[in-house]
Amino acid sequence: MKDNGKFFVGLGGVALVVTYLIWTGVSQTMIYYLTPVELIARVEQDPTFHHVGVKVSGRVERGSWNRAEDELLHHFTVTDLIDESVRFPVEYRDILPDTFNDTENVDVVVEGRFREDGVFEATIVLAKCGSRYEATAEELLG
Amino acid sequence: MILLGELALWIALPVGIWGAVAGFVGGRKERGDLVLSAEYSVYAVFLLLILTSVGIITAFVTDSFEYWYVANYSNRELPTFYKVSGLWAGQRGSLVFWALLLSFFSSAAVFTNRAKNREFMPYVAGILLTISSFFLVVLLFADVNPFERLPFAPADGRGLNPQLQNYWMTIHPPTLYLGFTAFTIPFAFAMSALLSGKLDTRWIVITRRWTLLSWFFLANGIIFGMRWAYEELGWGGFWFWDPVENASVLPWLTATAFLHSIQIQENRGMLKVWNMGLVTLTFLLTIFATFLTRSGLIESVHTFAENTTIAFIFLAFMGLMAGVSILLIAWRYPHLKSENQIQSFLSRESAFLFNNLILLGAAFTIMWGTLFPLITEGLTGTAIAVGPPFFNRVNLPIGLALLALMGIGPVIAWRRASRRNLVKNFRMPVLVGVMVIGALFLRGVHHGMALLTFGLSAFVMTIIIVEFVKGTKARARIEGEGYFPAFYHLVSRNRRRWGGYIVHVGVVMIFTAFAGVAFNREVLQTIDPGETITIESPFGHEYVLTYQGLSSPRGENMVRQAVALMTVARNGRPVESLRAEKVLYVKWESSPITNVGVNSYILEDLYLILENVNDLNGAFENDAGAQRATFKVQVNVLVGWIWYGGFVITLGGIIAMWPSRGSTTPAPRSKTKTEGERPALAARS
Repeated sequence: MKDNGKFFVGLGGVALVVTYLIWTGVSQTMIYYLTPVELIARVEQDPTFHHVGVKVSGRVERGSWNRAEDELLHHFTVTDLIDESVRFPVEYRDILPDTFNDTENVDVVVEGRFREDGVFEATIVLAKCGSRYEATAEELLG
Repeated sequence: MILLGELALWIALPVGIWGAVAGFVGGRKERGDLVLSAEYSVYAVFLLLILTSVGIITAFVTDSFEYWYVANYSNRELPTFYKVSGLWAGQRGSLVFWALLLSFFSSAAVFTNRAKNREFMPYVAGILLTISSFFLVVLLFADVNPFERLPFAPADGRGLNPQLQNYWMTIHPPTLYLGFTAFTIPFAFAMSALLSGKLDTRWIVITRRWTLLSWFFLANGIIFGMRWAYEELGWGGFWFWDPVENASVLPWLTATAFLHSIQIQENRGMLKVWNMGLVTLTFLLTIFATFLTRSGLIESVHTFAENTTIAFIFLAFMGLMAGVSILLIAWRYPHLKSENQIQSFLSRESAFLFNNLILLGAAFTIMWGTLFPLITEGLTGTAIAVGPPFFNRVNLPIGLALLALMGIGPVIAWRRASRRNLVKNFRMPVLVGVMVIGALFLRGVHHGMALLTFGLSAFVMTIIIVEFVKGTKARARIEGEGYFPAFYHLVSRNRRRWGGYIVHVGVVMIFTAFAGVAFNREVLQTIDPGETITIESPFGHEYVLTYQGLSSPRGENMVRQAVALMTVARNGRPVESLRAEKVLYVKWESSPITNVGVNSYILEDLYLILENVNDLNGAFENDAGAQRATFKVQVNVLVGWIWYGGFVITLGGIIAMWPSRGSTTPAPRSKTKTEGERPALAARS
């Protein structure tokens, strides 16, 4: 019985360590996950939000993508999924996923920092071409 | 054929429900005729689902675009191989496929156990058919019927997502599904042991084998998925920490925990409730994985279209299953008392228990991180996400602890390890581990966590090798055999143990490969034909890649492709050239797909991505002026060891699962075992 008690101390120890890992892990790596509308509202309310890492899900505006020749910097505009008048430019310096394009309604999640000059500096871009996965009957007919 | 398939799907549901009811009632009232009927229902559902699947495949192969599902996932020019894979390419087909595999395993379980484990059968059949019926209800009533017709027949389908047109992608989902569905069998036997009150070690023995099978498929499915991500997604990595990837790892982690903790139950009669809990949890996690993929509840690259009906049905089902399982365990709690207690911290039981806790801890952190946006949004209204940095950070120490336990567990004594046992078994492996760290440090490896991983890997490998050598030598001496026959007999007499060690070797290789990521190098550069990119490997040699230009050959189901050719020199000596491509698939003209080029060596991969072609349309036209392009070149250190490790795991898994001649009953637990005795004798199966 005595040893079992010791054992439970061990179990508690493991549980504590895991909790600690999660706690510090979350507090040091968490990022806000917002829509463009929420992002703009937040930044107006609290300008320090420009310095916080955020993740924003929106849609690539059609025809907005460009990339200067030889420059490894992509520019495109992201709009809100609901209110399309809310939009901001994005800069991204790495390889875009294959699913990314600016000719269809492509949903993206951009992760990075919303700079004071109103440009979103992305470090990660994930794209999902929602309309491409499944179509309605009307779309098939069209 | 298609109509027959549709009809079969509708017939399967009542048959399944009837069989489930017959099983439960037959079991309670001990009515042999009803039980027999339930067993036949299991077979019948399997046959009906074969017809359904054949129907769907026929619809794909015959380009029957009047079916919504076919129109969305195929096109005329799609190679037949990929048309067949349409069965699991989308939401609707994959649900059928899931049910098919489940009914296949159900039939296999009933067929192989109905004679020797008669008393489990009624409930096993009942539970399996309940779960099958659940999937059939989803298929028929949740707006995902694969046979739904369009009001017209389009001339052509919309085509298969080109990222799915890859060899690994055709085998990754089925393998994973095999793993998920196979775990339903352990769950069914566990629940039926609770229902029938037959709680001796028999259900454990049956369950153990099926768990191993499920675990084996899950491990392979996850590794195939990594391979696909590495080759197809074209970003140079193999793991995203994407919600769906995470969801597939969760049951694997808990199944791993279970495979270890049942050994404690078999050898020491402890942890009975814990094991029941692990079986239930793992089963629920397999359902959770498919729920996450199908509900669209969490943003993921894997999810199918959002479907709230399915989300609701799945949640209700998981809740019901969890509730019933907990009630059953509580009901039989008096029969699940421990026969022994842990005697010492320094014992194998204790090592296994810590292994269990840490595996569950890992599962918990991954689940937490995956659901974090949902939790925070529910609580505060603002979603907060955690990404790869969180998962890597948290799971690194957890992984290292597991690695250490992988060395300690197999050689520490049961009950209470003596000082002699510890010194004898661990002196040399610790020494080897420390020496490996020292040697690597002197060679210029200064990454702390990577060094620790390599050191621990060396520690574990030494322990395993010593075990094999000792076992072989002892056998050769006692039986008077040569070393090779002695080795063969050693392994074949106790496949589970030695197969398990081989699996450990594979896992260690994969851990080593993960540590290799710390040393990856990459270069991003825009060049014209004739120009070169130079990249230095962390091993000291240098690659020079010379761009030879773009060409535009025709390929199957492709509109166009641009293929960049690079000749490669390693330290000045020419080696195999690399091809990197941008491909436009039929029906997917707006998104060119990137195909990477890889040269694999034992310790590293040279990995080439065609990032961008300045004038892609010009390149497609073979325009000589449109050749300037941007490349990313990577040296990915040790990445091949994931695939080699996967191969070793497969080998070890097959050895461990290979049916042994004769009995499947466990050796009786020895009551006379003394301290420090080799435990292998009792673990024979």
